[in-house]
Amino acid sequence: MAEQKELYLGYATDKAVTPFFDKFLRELENEKIMKSKCTSCGTEYLPPRQHCQKCLSECELEEFTEREAKLYSYVIVDFGPESLASKTPYVVAIGEFPSGLRLTAHITNLMAPPEVGMPLKLAFEKIDEKRVTYKWLV
Amino acid sequence: MARRVAVVAGGHSKFGKRLDATVRELCAEAYKPIYDEGITQDRIDATVLSYAASQFTGQGAGSALIADYLGLQNKPHLRVESACATGTASLRAAYGMIASGLYDVMLVLGVEQMNRVSSATATEYMARAGDMRWEYPFGISFPAFYALMASRYISEYNLPHEVLSMISVKSHHYGAQNPKAHLPKEVSLEEAHNAVPICRPLNLYDCSLITDGAAAVVLVAEERVKEFTDRPMWIKGIGAGASQMMIQDRPSLTSIPGAKQAAKAAYEMAGLKPNDINMAEVHDCFSIAELIAYEDLGFAEPGKGREIVENKENYHDGRIPVNCDGGLKSKGHPLGATGISMTYEILKQMRGEADKPSRQIKDVQYGLVHNVGQSGQFVNIFIYERGF
Repeated sequence: MAEQKELYLGYATDKAVTPFFDKFLRELENEKIMKSKCTSCGTEYLPPRQHCQKCLSECELEEFTEREAKLYSYVIVDFGPESLASKTPYVVAIGEFPSGLRLTAHITNLMAPPEVGMPLKLAFEKIDEKRVTYKWLV
Repeated sequence: MARRVAVVAGGHSKFGKRLDATVRELCAEAYKPIYDEGITQDRIDATVLSYAASQFTGQGAGSALIADYLGLQNKPHLRVESACATGTASLRAAYGMIASGLYDVMLVLGVEQMNRVSSATATEYMARAGDMRWEYPFGISFPAFYALMASRYISEYNLPHEVLSMISVKSHHYGAQNPKAHLPKEVSLEEAHNAVPICRPLNLYDCSLITDGAAAVVLVAEERVKEFTDRPMWIKGIGAGASQMMIQDRPSLTSIPGAKQAAKAAYEMAGLKPNDINMAEVHDCFSIAELIAYEDLGFAEPGKGREIVENKENYHDGRIPVNCDGGLKSKGHPLGATGISMTYEILKQMRGEADKPSRQIKDVQYGLVHNVGQSGQFVNIFIYERGF
């Protein structure tokens, strides 16, 4: 059997959280999304990376302030992995911001089938007392 | 100059829901016909085991277990993992070892046992080949990655879903004629188009199967080939490519960057063009994947792959026969066995040994294998040449 636990960013956070990633999660509690920026070459990453993909230098977290995006692609998951089976159907969307950065999350308030190119807005959702995640709204 | 390498023999288990066997028995089933041809353990220098997902069995040190079970316990072995491209990654590893002169004769075995867990658990395991930090928590299953490609493709090229269903109809048409196939039955276009949704826009008939099975081939160095066969199949070209880990980071979702990269390298090494290829085994883990493969391999221009489908050019008597063994859709997709099974099929077709005349491709001089791991992070393309 697969492990039965509620999914959250950085699955198995008890095993996989680093100080850098933990800071990202703590900022989510303040309804802030953090991107990262390379301290050496300035390349930006969303979601954030601790190490620059280009020069492997350390990156710093910086607040990401864009909220309006366009739907780049989507899937409506009818049959999901065991860990999310109880949540089906759910919609996963890749949104593209005007800066060109992209983010992947659920769309939670669809009343009609999604369409590529439709506007999306990045929002936050409190899962419980300690945890906040991000999502798309249409 | 590297030595040339040939495929000299192959074996294939029955694919299916094999509750009568586990990985070791499946491997024995794939090696036995090779043994019966006279390629006994003492003639094999070393083995590579293509075994993608040990989480399904819990068995570690898989290559030791299998080597021992097959009577190869005193021959060097190793295991390769590259998700669904593990089979061709293993062939690439073996090719390198033979071409370099390290070994002369290698057995490459591919296997997967996937049906002793529920479909939901299998989907769970495969979802973990996505980025565990940023993708997996949103429940992006293996079909979901390809559905993301399908949504984008459908939008950019205004593709009707029926075209995808036509690919599945073709797969099942040939799978029905393949005694090794997991789901050997014909399906109608209506059935395929209206099937239950799995990851919309993909439905049940757009998705490959969760399969148990094994396949094996023997690779031999040029100067030793005559000891094994007078009907060798030469490795003429190999190309490998890679794509971004997270699907959101891909520049396009209507093509797989690693597949284009691999195709270019394979054609260059072989000195061939897409038009020279007489048959292809492509990685149709999902119907959309086969359509995109036509374009990434240069059989059609971007956005025009549907013409191959609509004109039935992909049938055994068409311009570019594709997956006339049923493909991953109907023959089945035991992850580690798939790339080896594709290679086995080309060997059989070149030798005129397809099971039925109704799926025998005429006069195959060059055959191509396109094997994709996960959603394109790993791609290996092999071009084979008939050597007789």
